[in-house]
Amino acid sequence: MSAPITETPLLTGKHSFSGITAKISGIAERKAPVPWYLALGAALSLLLVLFGSIGFLVFEGVGIWGVNNPVGWGWAIVNFVWWVGIGHAGTLISAILFLLRQRWRTSINRFAEAMTLFAISCALIFPGIHVGRMWLAYWMFPIPNQMGMWPNFRSPLLWDVFAVSTYFIASLLFWYTGLIPDLATFRDRAKIKIKKVIFGILAMGWRGGNRQWRHYELAYLILAGISTPLVLSVHSVVSTDFAVSIIPGWHTTIFPPYFVAGAIFSGFAMVVTLTIIARKIFNIGDIITVNHLEKMNKIILLTGSMVGYAYGIEFFIAWYSGNMYEQFTFINRAFGNYAWAYWIMIFCNVLVPQVFWFKRLRRSIPVMFIASIFINIGMWFERFVIVVSSLSRDFLPANWDYYSPSIWDISTFIGSFGLFFTLFLLFIRFLPMISMAEVKTVLPEADPHHGVAHSRPGGRHD
Amino acid sequence: MIKLPAGNVLGLLARFDSPAALVAAAEKVRDAGYKKFDCHSPFPIHSMDAAMGLKRSPLGWIVGLAAVVGASSGLGLQWFASTVDYPLVISGKPFFSFQAYVPVTFGVGVLLAATTALVGMLALNGLPRPFHPVFYAEQFSKASDDGFFVSIEADDPLFDEERTTQFLISIGGGNVEALCRD
Amino acid sequence: MENEKTAFRPILSGIFGMIAAGAAIVGLLLSGVGYFLDARQFLFSWLTALVYWTTIGLGALFFVMLHHLVGARWSTVLRRMAENLMWGLPVLAVFFLPILFHMPQAYSWSNPEVMAGDHLLTGKSGYLNVPFFTLRLAAYFLVWFVLVSLLNTYSNQQDTNSSASLTKRMRVVSAAGMVLFAVTLSFAAFDWLMSLDAHWYSTIYGVYVFAGSFLALLALMVLIVLQLRSRGILKNVITSEHDHDLGKLLFAFTIFWGYMAFSQYLLIWYGNIPEETVWFLHRWNGTWKTASLVLIFGQFVVPFFVLFPQAVKRMPAVMKAIGLWILLMHWVDIYWLVMPSLHHEVHLSWMDVTTLVGIGGVFLWFFQRGMRSRPLVPINDPTLAGSIRSLS
Repeated sequence: MSAPITETPLLTGKHSFSGITAKISGIAERKAPVPWYLALGAALSLLLVLFGSIGFLVFEGVGIWGVNNPVGWGWAIVNFVWWVGIGHAGTLISAILFLLRQRWRTSINRFAEAMTLFAISCALIFPGIHVGRMWLAYWMFPIPNQMGMWPNFRSPLLWDVFAVSTYFIASLLFWYTGLIPDLATFRDRAKIKIKKVIFGILAMGWRGGNRQWRHYELAYLILAGISTPLVLSVHSVVSTDFAVSIIPGWHTTIFPPYFVAGAIFSGFAMVVTLTIIARKIFNIGDIITVNHLEKMNKIILLTGSMVGYAYGIEFFIAWYSGNMYEQFTFINRAFGNYAWAYWIMIFCNVLVPQVFWFKRLRRSIPVMFIASIFINIGMWFERFVIVVSSLSRDFLPANWDYYSPSIWDISTFIGSFGLFFTLFLLFIRFLPMISMAEVKTVLPEADPHHGVAHSRPGGRHD
Repeated sequence: MIKLPAGNVLGLLARFDSPAALVAAAEKVRDAGYKKFDCHSPFPIHSMDAAMGLKRSPLGWIVGLAAVVGASSGLGLQWFASTVDYPLVISGKPFFSFQAYVPVTFGVGVLLAATTALVGMLALNGLPRPFHPVFYAEQFSKASDDGFFVSIEADDPLFDEERTTQFLISIGGGNVEALCRD
Repeated sequence: MENEKTAFRPILSGIFGMIAAGAAIVGLLLSGVGYFLDARQFLFSWLTALVYWTTIGLGALFFVMLHHLVGARWSTVLRRMAENLMWGLPVLAVFFLPILFHMPQAYSWSNPEVMAGDHLLTGKSGYLNVPFFTLRLAAYFLVWFVLVSLLNTYSNQQDTNSSASLTKRMRVVSAAGMVLFAVTLSFAAFDWLMSLDAHWYSTIYGVYVFAGSFLALLALMVLIVLQLRSRGILKNVITSEHDHDLGKLLFAFTIFWGYMAFSQYLLIWYGNIPEETVWFLHRWNGTWKTASLVLIFGQFVVPFFVLFPQAVKRMPAVMKAIGLWILLMHWVDIYWLVMPSLHHEVHLSWMDVTTLVGIGGVFLWFFQRGMRSRPLVPINDPTLAGSIRSLS
């Protein structure tokens, strides 16, 4: 679980400590490149679409959405689950790969963690606005009130509130902890007073003394340690929204691990998509190398196979159960009125990742870019298939109905990309998008035995 | 805040070339008997704790305690709300359905543990602390870039501006600088 | 370096082999006597023991393939040990013969009258029938045999030939093998265990069985490593750094097992559909409730808290104890999955012991044969030197 057999260097080209500082700080210090402004403009326009859609929703009510009876859960829950899932890759990279001492993570973890935070922000919009009277959304929290009411702690929807908000806060703290040394770098490099003050406050007076590092490193390890079960629990809890019910196609025991695998799958695809764009715009292909991308593609292949495994097992057990409702649901998924969505899902999630069996394709930027986008589409459709195909064919045929989204469903979803990309673009412009302190540790000269005769290769982390 | 007169030496700062040199220097400073010293580097250096003679951080125990407190208050809240304050039968399940309380119990435990990890780390480090004598040195801005420094504070019992300067030079320190307000 | 070379030499002492062979002969003979006294009890005890050792063998196969796939370095020194543990896996196929000859006594669905009177089972007859069951069983073992022999053959070749192409070949076998492994293990779990209660079904079942099997393998590896070290074997090769890594994996898979077990339980408990809850109800009645509690505390709570502190993972005495404990709990786990189909109350039989010892003797005899016939670590693996020095 340490370094790969063929010890390819983690970074390509020649780097020095100050070179890394200059290169990464430079991104935030120089004038932003033109594509950045164009992208920000597009993102802000989409953000306006989001605000408009939510504004009209507040004014008019959830009737503007395509939800009907029996499909009471439509795009809002699909989008929620999809966005939360995207977030999982960031925590996986920052926490699980840290515990496994995968040092290649240092180039991408900051970036992926930021993506986690923004994806959860987008996700949180949907449960927030779907409640109808959204100004009463605070009722979801256990706040003593004059009615003497409590939220229902036996409901998975409330578990979601706790799981996702804990996830957001813990990810934010983890992200901030990682940022502290880099914020100190920004503080020390700041030329203008106002920047010095802002980064000075954010860096909290970090001095990089080993008396600080020793607490810092343990805090980082602990945060990684608790984020690992947390990230597994979050999508497991999200899966219980469906799985504790008795709706055929939802009530199945494999849901928790299957949702987690799917979340990591889609999250890594999103990281690959964004990384390819960012390394192109900011010319950082020597820090986030093709080797990094290849490793991510391997994880995509692995988690994609897990998702494929779950599809297969679900299908088999639906037949094996002898339960006619289960059997009907799965036949209906594959051949019913939502078969088109099902086959998009199978194509994108099961077939497309198979290209990554081949080393050449795994290392080809265009191939992985296209594949990663397909996977993100496929994972959205997975949630769509789960939510809509099961609900639209309820136990009572008299209730059956077809669900299609309204223009407002679509505009809200597209608008959520505006929020995501706006936050993301601001992040890469103003904060260190790669962890300088951590990337420096993978340089050979960072080893205190570097140049000493009895050098001891091995992990840095405990 | 006490205003210190200009020119009052608060400590000494010396620069070293590499992580290896810093570790070697830390061992010598430790062996010379200094207590109030620190080794600054842009990233954590493996084996530095031993070189400086530092024990393992107690943060783990603090966070562990926070996790236990968080999880028990999470469980306690659910027990109180569902069995004492407002008992409701929901889908025929017992008032105290511990199975259903696992996710929230876990969530609250993690929340408190994560918060404690960051806050506890900052508290153990005496942060936030905007002012520190090392910031008087111009060259200290390199400590977050590619500089490796040893700082010895003036209130160390062994500190003597003259002799400590000589000591720092003797162990290979460059750019030895007195830290004072100018 | 010369020192290291001798350190890797195969173990010469045959004492362990004699013990294993003796255990196999005595255990199998006594179990054979048991067959004539109470055939059903024998069958169920036999199945429990057989699944117990098969899952450990599968855990070893997974360990080796995972090692190759992630290109791990720290575990290179442990690879040969896992490879030796795999040797016993294909052999276990033979021990399924008694079960195949007495299918109706073990699996109610293989009884034509039972099948005919039950429309749910009739619906499953395309899958649950003796010829197909036998064919699948043969297929699982064929797949495992091919994987085990390919990986072991390449590994042996690597000892005399340090070409990098062998590393690559092992990686390719592992990649394809992982897919086959997931499918075969899951369906084997459905066939051998889940179908004991032929009405009941759970999609997570295969993953649950996998979690237990890898956990048990890790526990066994911990025991073997520490046992060898206490005899001075591989003392400076497998260090406390590796103990620490193994301990962390053991801790992680304790949580993983708990996560799988709880996922299955929570969803069935919450859904509260009789056809699903009946399975847990059988395991929560009378003395089975005690067994369930032993499992929850023994397989999850106790190992979780024991393995939690960092320092413990480097304490040989504690790790030995917890390794043995987890191996025992894995047996409780399999027993808990199998036996409620036979007994309405927990009913321990002497055959539970003799079958476990008998089959285990054979399994471990193959292990020791590997330990005696080839170097204890893959001596030409390019990552070996790094693995010996790796820091946890």
